[in-house]
Order: sequence, then structure tokens, then C-alpha cells
Amino acid sequence: MERELALLIPEIIILFTVVFALIAEMLRLPRIALVVTIVGLLLATWQSVLLLGLDTTVFGGTFRIDMLSVWAKIILLPATLLSLLLVRAEIAGSDREGTVYVLVTLVTLASILLAGVGDSMLLVLGVLLSGLASFALVAYPRNDSATEAAMKFFVFGSVTTSVMIFGLSYWFGATGSTLLSELGQLEASPAIAVIGFIAVIIGLGYKASLVPFHFWAPDAYEGAPLSIAAYLSVVPKIGAILAFAQVVRDMPMSTGWPLIIAVVAVLTMTYGYLAALAQKNVVRLLAYSSVAQAGYFLLGVVAVGTSSLALQSLIIFSAAYAAMNLGAFAVVMRVGRTLDSFKGIGRKSHVIGVAMVIFLLSLVGIPPLAGFVGKFLLFGAAIDAGFLWLTVVAILNSVLSLAVYLRIMVPMYQAQSHCHEPDTDANTTAVAPALIKLVWVIALLFTIGIGLAAQLLLRQLG
Amino acid sequence: MYPIVSITVFLPLLGALLVLLMRKSSPQVAHGIGIATSGATLLGALVMWSRGVNETGFAQVEQIDWMPSIGAAYRVGVDGISLPLVLLTALLFFVTFIYSAKVRKQSHSFVALMLLLLTASIGAFTALDAILFYVFFEVSLVSMYFMIAQWGHEDRQRAALMFFIYTFLGSLPLLLAILGLYLGSDPYTFDMRVWISDPPLDGLAAMLALIAMLITFAVKTPVFPFHTWLPAAHVQAPAAGSVILAGVMLKFGTYGLVRFAYQMTPDAFREAGVVILTFGVVAALYGAFAALAQTDLKRLVAYTSINHMGYIIIGVAVAALATDPAIRATALDGSVLQMVSHGLVTGALFLLVGMLQDRAHTRDMAQFGGLIKVVPVLGWSFVLAAFASLGLPGLAHFPAEFQIFLATLQVEPVAIIAILGIVITAGLYLRAIAQVFLGEVGDKWTAATMPDLNIRELLALAPLLMLIIVLGVAPGWVLDVIHKTTIALPF
Repeated sequence: MERELALLIPEIIILFTVVFALIAEMLRLPRIALVVTIVGLLLATWQSVLLLGLDTTVFGGTFRIDMLSVWAKIILLPATLLSLLLVRAEIAGSDREGTVYVLVTLVTLASILLAGVGDSMLLVLGVLLSGLASFALVAYPRNDSATEAAMKFFVFGSVTTSVMIFGLSYWFGATGSTLLSELGQLEASPAIAVIGFIAVIIGLGYKASLVPFHFWAPDAYEGAPLSIAAYLSVVPKIGAILAFAQVVRDMPMSTGWPLIIAVVAVLTMTYGYLAALAQKNVVRLLAYSSVAQAGYFLLGVVAVGTSSLALQSLIIFSAAYAAMNLGAFAVVMRVGRTLDSFKGIGRKSHVIGVAMVIFLLSLVGIPPLAGFVGKFLLFGAAIDAGFLWLTVVAILNSVLSLAVYLRIMVPMYQAQSHCHEPDTDANTTAVAPALIKLVWVIALLFTIGIGLAAQLLLRQLG
Repeated sequence: MYPIVSITVFLPLLGALLVLLMRKSSPQVAHGIGIATSGATLLGALVMWSRGVNETGFAQVEQIDWMPSIGAAYRVGVDGISLPLVLLTALLFFVTFIYSAKVRKQSHSFVALMLLLLTASIGAFTALDAILFYVFFEVSLVSMYFMIAQWGHEDRQRAALMFFIYTFLGSLPLLLAILGLYLGSDPYTFDMRVWISDPPLDGLAAMLALIAMLITFAVKTPVFPFHTWLPAAHVQAPAAGSVILAGVMLKFGTYGLVRFAYQMTPDAFREAGVVILTFGVVAALYGAFAALAQTDLKRLVAYTSINHMGYIIIGVAVAALATDPAIRATALDGSVLQMVSHGLVTGALFLLVGMLQDRAHTRDMAQFGGLIKVVPVLGWSFVLAAFASLGLPGLAHFPAEFQIFLATLQVEPVAIIAILGIVITAGLYLRAIAQVFLGEVGDKWTAATMPDLNIRELLALAPLLMLIIVLGVAPGWVLDVIHKTTIALPF
């Protein structure tokens, strides 16, 4: 018991952080709540680093402490911290400010649980916990569009999660255990394996916004506060993808699961970018782009178990994606939500312009940026696993993605048609731009740094 | 021995950072930094030249671990194929910086972007690691996109976008091929030297990798029917951009053809040799005929580039088909020399067209006439460069094309039909010279509206014109370096 609690220190710290932050909020001390969460996140990150190199399970195999789950913490906890800074910049001083910090941290807790999931009941718990808190976050502005988005999100989430639970009951019936490590027994009953697997794709696919379970994402991102959209597009998504990797690790190959994932990957990438091409609103464009990026993650999931590159590529792309996506959203917070507000911004403030170009080029996957290293490793893993065709499709989609991101980049360097001040929401204080700047500067350092010094990460990953 | 290759590669990057740090300074300071940095880079390239190349393999290799877990490292070095291109690149950038010292529009960004492009270009030619090569290759693409989109002519946005999407689409198959070669190597490595000395793929896999690489380099070179981005990009690009695009960046295509396609999948390349040869012949003829139809002087020069690049492809294909090592070396010598000659000649031509456009604000040949009386220096320089471009003996293209055709005759005599391209280019250049520089002077062009070349323009042009003559009369000093490598190639 003591050993298991010691291994769970990061999760326990986050849990206590949530409790203390909630108490601070109840005392109407939102700044204290923020400080508590930030300190908690930093502490938990530090404790996670100490766990590097372990490969074990706790509580009878229900939760895994392995490379994937430890790195998920090291990536997701700091990403949450950056998101919180954005949240603070956006909603400082508003009603119930502290609740947002609490809910965000709760979603993060669910996400890191998902990334180390070893039992189908924990899987359900993670999806539910992350879902419930996310609905509330989206509904936070309490206006029509946010309420509508949260409602869609909620209905979608409840239905897909129920389907997943239903499907998981088949697995339980066939293996007599809820442990994922027992999934090898499904070798004998491929039909049941596939039914359960499709149910998992539906449940996690909604969390990771895979096509065709992505419909909530653009509305939710648009209705929610921008900082919450940034957060939802990064942390819960990565958590769900890594949960996928944990599930398929024990799936018998004979069920043909890689092919199913590959098909979903193709749909997700292609549909995501095609839909993004048609958007006029930058937030919706980035929402569809994050749908498409989820498809790239699946290239790594496909290769789990067959390629030694699979886990490395997933982790590196997670870190890269977190940095570049948060950075891009931070710039959008600074500049504005429409494509028009980006017009001429690159000429007016060079640094923001260059930063946004770097984030977008990294999302395309242009070297030597983080997105390139991540995608390159993902491609390598997929080819190694025998999915050359999938890699070709992914590469063709990269071209499509260039067209998508150029829709933001091109107007940035056009002459300004009218004088446009960067959007500053009415309730932002003088500290807000500084916080947003801090976030995108950090994201920029990581976007370039991960690209150039990928070895630092790779060495840790063995 | 100090690491001169790395210094040469990254010096411009330092210059670019310096320019960006000094944003507040005057445009003259920015251009001064640009000229000084590119001059120092040229010196670095000359030092590399003086250190020379090895009998076999690569010389001046510098290596640092980068991502040892996946077998990628920072590796640079040169051989007889890349060294002349490095020198050409440094020289072309240097003269382009001198020529563009008049740019006043966002001059700091312009200089920084050009310096970044310089780092990427020299990096691409010296990289000995496939990932590193790809990094430099793409960085050059992004910088050139901004170059065209920001400082181009009237329809620049569309042309820049077309260029970016076209060549980005084109570069992705190379990524696939690199991954294929990587996964075929044992142990996994991105070291290009290993891939060259011991080609990792064979059979169908090698053929697929070759096809992927051919698509990339065909777009970059460009080869008919992948060339449509080129006229648009050239016409809209600023003169400096055109010089670099034609003089340096098209060479990525042909250099890649030799370095990657020919050296890393040699057997597949030999099998596909006749097909590649056909593409080369078609490119050479198509470029010549398309150039014949142009009325815009810049488009004309752009299309002749397609023609000249076609000869290089013929040369490499012939080298692959040849069984006699001596003939193979002749064909490759000609191809590499042609890359250098084309850089000098087309660089000079684009500079001259740019100078003409600065004065006349038009490129339409029908608007001109008798200019040789108004601007004799510009006129005679153009005549010299045009004669070089059409392959006149004694000028830069002649020794290169002569060797290519010599080898072609011995290996695949039918392909000699491409020589028709020379006849057509001769015709079209003579027509252009007659239309623009000879005949009656219109009232429009007087010494006031059209002054002759000033000192800055002369300084930019003189090195290129001199080298065109030197290379035509005595190509030996470059050929020796190239030949040292080509004669020792194992296949």
C-alpha cells in the first residue's frame, strides 16, 4: 500500500490541489486558488520527474506507471499551468474565477489518469470525470452560444460514454476481468474484441475529437472562453490519445485493430483539414486543425507494439503539439478571433507575427521546428509498422494543412485595409497582455527547442 | 583546423540575428551588414575551396551528435560535386547583396531573410545527414516564400503561394524516401555517406524510393510537366529573388538528383535511366520552345532555365546508363559544371533584366529598341550573358554542354536530338537582342530616363561576367575538383 501511494504522489498532489483551491474559492480568494493550483502543478511535475524510468503498475494492475504515463504528467501538468495563465489573463476578476482553476485542474487529473489507464473501469472513470468538468468549463461564460455549445458537448459526451461502457461490458464478459492486461484472451473471440474496440474508439474518440465524433469540438471551442478552448484542445485530447495507446498495447494483433485505427486516422486528418479550409473564424479553424492533428497522433497509436518508435513518437509529438497549439491560441487571444483581425498584424508587430508564423509552420510540420520532429517520428513509426499507405495519406494531408495555415499567415503580411487594434476584451486588465505574452514566449521556446534539441527528450525515452 | 564548413554555413545566420537586433538602424547599415556577412561567407567558401576535396568520399567532414537515439547527427562536408556549388552560392549571394543595396522597403527584414536563405542554401549543399538536408531544404523554401510575397511585383501573393504549395508538395515525397532509406539501413542511420557507400534499399523498395525522390527533384529543378510554378515565381519575384531562385535553388533539384537519386538508389536509377533521359530531353526541348514564345524578357530567361536544367538531367541519366567509367565521369563532369555555369549565366541575366526593369518599369520586349546606344554597358553585358546562355564556345556553358553531348553520343545517340534546344535558344536570344538592344531608339528612352549602369550595379555584375569568360576559356580549375570525385565513384 505504501509503495503504491508513493508511486501515486503526483496524482495525490493534484487531488489535494483541487481540494485546497476549492476551499480558497469558497472563501472568495481566487488569487489564492490560482497560486495553490500553480504550486500544486509545479510540485506534481517535479514529483513526476522523479518517477522517470519506472515501469510498473499499482493497485493490482489498474493504473500503470510507465514511460507513457510519467511523460504524460511531465507534459500535461506544465501545459495546464500555461493554460491557467491564459485563463487568468482572460477572466481575471470575473465571477467564480476560482472555480475555473479548480475545474481545469480536475480535467487534468482525469487526463493523467487516462494516460496511465490499466483497467476498463478506470477508463470510464477518467472519461466521465474529464467530461463533467469540461462541460462546466465550456458553459462558463453563461451566454447563449456557450450554453448551446456546452449542451451539445454534454449530450454528445453522455451518449458516447454510454456506448463505450456498453461495449466494455462485452470485454468484461469475454475475459472475466476489467483489467486491460487480460485483453490478450480476446484472441479467441475476435468479434467481441472488435465490438468492444469500436466502443472504445467512440468513447475516447469523442474526448480526442476524432472524426466522426468531433462535432462538439468547433462549437465548444467557439462558445467557451478562448483560454478554455486552448486548454481543451491540448490536455484532455493528449490524455485520451495516450489512453488509446494503453488500450491497444494489450489488444491481440489478430483482431486487426491497427487497420481500424488507420481508417479513423485517415478520416480524421482529411476531414479536419478540409473543414478547416472553409472556416472564416480563426478559433473554428484552429478547432478543426486540432481535430486533424489528432489524426496524426493515431499514426503513433497504429504502431504501438510493432515499432520501437511508437511510444517515443507519441510522447515527442504530445510535447510538440502542446507547445505549438497553446502558443497559437495565445496569439489568437492577443490578436482576435477573426481572420480579418490578423490582417497586417505581421507588419505592425513583428515579434507576434514571427511567433505566429513559427507556431503555424510547426503545426504544418516544417523543419526544424517541434512539429516536424514529432511528425517525422510518427511517420517513421507508421512505416515501420507496415503502414506506408497511411504515411502517404498523412503526408498528402500535410500539404492540405499548409493551405489551411496559410489562410492565417497570408493576411498577416498583407497591407492593412483598416486600422485595427488587437482585440482586448473589456474585462482584461493591464496584466493580461503580459501573461499572454509570457505564455506564447514559453511556447515559442519549446516549439523551437524541441525541434532542435529533440535528443534531450529522446535520450530520456531510451 | 577550425571548422570552416560550419562557420561558413552559420555565419550568415549570425548576420541575420545581428540585423534583427539592430532594427532601429538605417537601411544602409542593414545592407552593410548583409554585404559584409555574405563577403565573409564567400571568404569562408574560398577557404573551403583551398582545402580541396578527397580522392574518395567526403572531405572537411565536421560532425556533432544531434539525435543519436535515432541515428541523426549534424554532419557536414564536401566533395567535388558540392564544393563548386558552395562557391557558386556564396558568390551569387554576395553580388545579389551588392545589387539589392538599393532596397528600401523593410530593408532589415530583407537582409535578414536573404542571410537566412544563404545559410539554408550552403547548408543544403554541405549537409551529409538526410534530416539536416531536409531541414535546410525546407527552410530555404519558407524564406523564399516570404521573399516573393513581400518584395515581389504586382501579382506576388498568388505567385508566392503557388511556389510554396507546389514545392512543399514536391518536397514531401523526399521525406518518404528518406524514411524508407532510414528504415532500410542497418543499423538505423541518417548518415548520407553510409547510404551512398552501401545503398540500403534494393528491388521494388529502391524503385519506390527513387520515384519519390524523382518527383521532389523534378518539381524543384523543374522538369516538364512539373514546371508551372517557375515562370510565375520568377516573374513576380524581386530581381534578387530571381537570381537566387534560378542560380542557387534550382540546383537543389539537380544536386539532389545526383546526391540522392543517383547515388543512393544506383541500380534503380540505372533501370529507370531511359525514362529519366526522356524527361531530360523533353525538358530541354520544351524549355527552349516555350522560351521562344515569350514576349516578357524575364519569362524568357526563366524558360531557358528549364532548357538548361534539361541538359543536366540528360547528363546524369547518361552517366547512369554508361558502362565505361570514363564516359560516366565525362557526363557527370559536364552536369556539375553545367550547374555552376547556369548559376553564373542566369544570375547575370536576371540581374541585367532587373536593372533594365528598374529603369524602364516594364519587361515587355516590344517596348524596347536600340537600347545599346542608350545604355552601352548594360547592352553589351546582356549580349555577353546571352551568348553564354546559348552555348557559344569560349563562354561558360560551352565546356559543360559539350561534355554532356559528348557522353550522350557515346551512350544513347538518339538523345542528341536535345541539341536542337541549343539552336532554338540561339534563335530566341538573337531575336531578343535584336528587339531590345538593336534597331531604332524610341523617343521614350533617353539618357535621362535610362541612365547606364552605376558603380554598384557594375560591381555586382563584373564578377559574374568575368567568371563566365574564365570558365569558358579555362574550365580546368573547376573541372579538376569535380573530376576528382566523379572518376572515383564506385558505380
